[in-house]
Amino acid sequence: MADMSEIQTRIREEAGKALESGEVGVVIGWGAGSVPFKTTPVFIDKAQDVEKLVWNPACTNNLAVYLPKMARDRKVGIVAKPCDIRSIVTLIREKQVKRENVFIIGVGCAGVIDARSLENANVRLSEITSLEWSGNDLIVTTQTGTSTVAAADSLREQCKVCDSRTPAICDAAVGDAVPRSEEISIDIPGLSEDRKAYWAEQFSRCIRCYACRQVCPACYCRSCFADRVEPRWTAKKATTQEAWMFHATRAMHLAGRCIGCGECERICPVGIRVVELARELNAIAKDRYGFDAGNPEEETHLLGSYRDEDFDPAQHSE
Amino acid sequence: MAEETITLEKTTEEPASKQKQWQPSILAILCNWCSYAGADLAGSARLQYPETVRIVRVPCSGRADPMFVFKGFQKGFDGVMVLGCHPGDCHYAKGNYYARRRIALTQELLKLLGIPPERFHFEWVSASEGNRFAELVREFTDKIKALGPFEGVDK
Repeated sequence: MADMSEIQTRIREEAGKALESGEVGVVIGWGAGSVPFKTTPVFIDKAQDVEKLVWNPACTNNLAVYLPKMARDRKVGIVAKPCDIRSIVTLIREKQVKRENVFIIGVGCAGVIDARSLENANVRLSEITSLEWSGNDLIVTTQTGTSTVAAADSLREQCKVCDSRTPAICDAAVGDAVPRSEEISIDIPGLSEDRKAYWAEQFSRCIRCYACRQVCPACYCRSCFADRVEPRWTAKKATTQEAWMFHATRAMHLAGRCIGCGECERICPVGIRVVELARELNAIAKDRYGFDAGNPEEETHLLGSYRDEDFDPAQHSE
Repeated sequence: MAEETITLEKTTEEPASKQKQWQPSILAILCNWCSYAGADLAGSARLQYPETVRIVRVPCSGRADPMFVFKGFQKGFDGVMVLGCHPGDCHYAKGNYYARRRIALTQELLKLLGIPPERFHFEWVSASEGNRFAELVREFTDKIKALGPFEGVDK
C-alpha cells in the first residue's frame, strides 16, 4: 500500500499535469486547514500552486458540491474520494454535469475521521500535529508522542459501513483502496423505540440554517422548495413542525439520489442525524427496486422509472 | 373534600364527552379521472359516507406530491389517503405507475419518521367504483376513530 504522503505527491503530479497541459482550468482539492485535524477546499488554477493540495484522513469535504456551478461551461479537475465519485456519477446521470467536463483524480480511500469520535477516544484535538492511516488504524501524532486509534473510534459513521472504497469512474487513479477490516456496527440511538418522539426531539433543535442543503451535492436546485413563498411549503420560523416538514421533504427529494456521504450530518451545527432518513430510505429502495444511487451502471432514475411488476402499496396498505 | 370530588368528576367526564364529539379530519388526494369521478358517483348515487373527508382533486395520482402528504400531517390531519386509477387505466397512460413507486416510498418514509402507518392509506379506485369509495372512507374513518386524534408531528 502506498503511504499517504506518496498518494499526496501523486495527486499533486496529476493535478499539475492536467493544469500544465491546459486540459483543465482549475483543480478542486483539499488544502491544509487551520488545524491539522481539518482540511479546507482549495481551488488551484496555476500549476505551481499544486503544493497546496493535501491528502490525509481529514479530507472529509465532498467537493462534488462545487461541480454543477463550476463545470457548467468548462472542464474542471477534481480530487475525489470514491464516495465523492458516486456523487459525481449522480450529477452526470441527472445532467447537471457533463462527463467530458470533469477530470476526476480518484483516490483510493481508507475512510475519513470524525473529530468528535476522536475526542471521545481521549485524543486531545488541540495537540494533534499529524494524522495518518496505517491499514485500518489511525496513527495520531501529537506534541507529546504517537498513539494508535482503532478505526471504530476514529472513522466517520458512513465510512464504518462504506463498501465502495475504490473509485467507480475516474481519469487518473491514485492510491489503493483499503478494505474495511471488520464489520463495525453503527449505533442509531432511539430509532428502534418511539421514532416520532425521537425525530421530534432531533428536529426541535433545527435552527433552519440550511447548511445541510448547501453542503449537499444532490441539492443543486436553483429554486429550493424551502425558499418558496408561494406556495409556502415550510415557513421560515424555527419550530419543530416546520423543521419536520423541511427534513421530511428533503429526505424524500434525496430518495434514490443520496449516496450517503454524510456531509449534511457533519456540517449540522446542532448535531441532527440528518443523513439517517435518506440512508434508510435508500436501503429500502435498493432492497425493493434494486436501485443503487451512486452506481454508474444504473441507467435511469429511481423515481423517474417504473416496472410493471413493482411493489404495489395498495395491496399492502395497513 | 367535597369540592375535590366535584373537580374529579368534571375531569373524568370531559374527555368522554369530547370523544363523542370528535370526528377525525381526513385529507384525501384524488385523481381527477378515476377516484374523483368515483367520489362523484358516490355522491350522485346518494351513498352515505362520513363527512370526515376533505378532498383535494389532482389531475393524476402522479401529481400527488409526497409534500402534499407531509403537509397534511404537519397541519394536523388525522389521516391522509391518496387514491388513483388502477394500474393500466391511467388517463395519461403511466402517471399512476410513477405514483406507485413514489407513494410506496412516501409510505416507507412516514414509517421511518414514526407516523403510524395506519394513518396513511393508498388505494386504486376507478370511476365506476362509487360504492367502493364510500366503503373506503367509512373503513378509514372507523380506523382513525379507533386510533384517536393525531397528536402532531412535533410530539
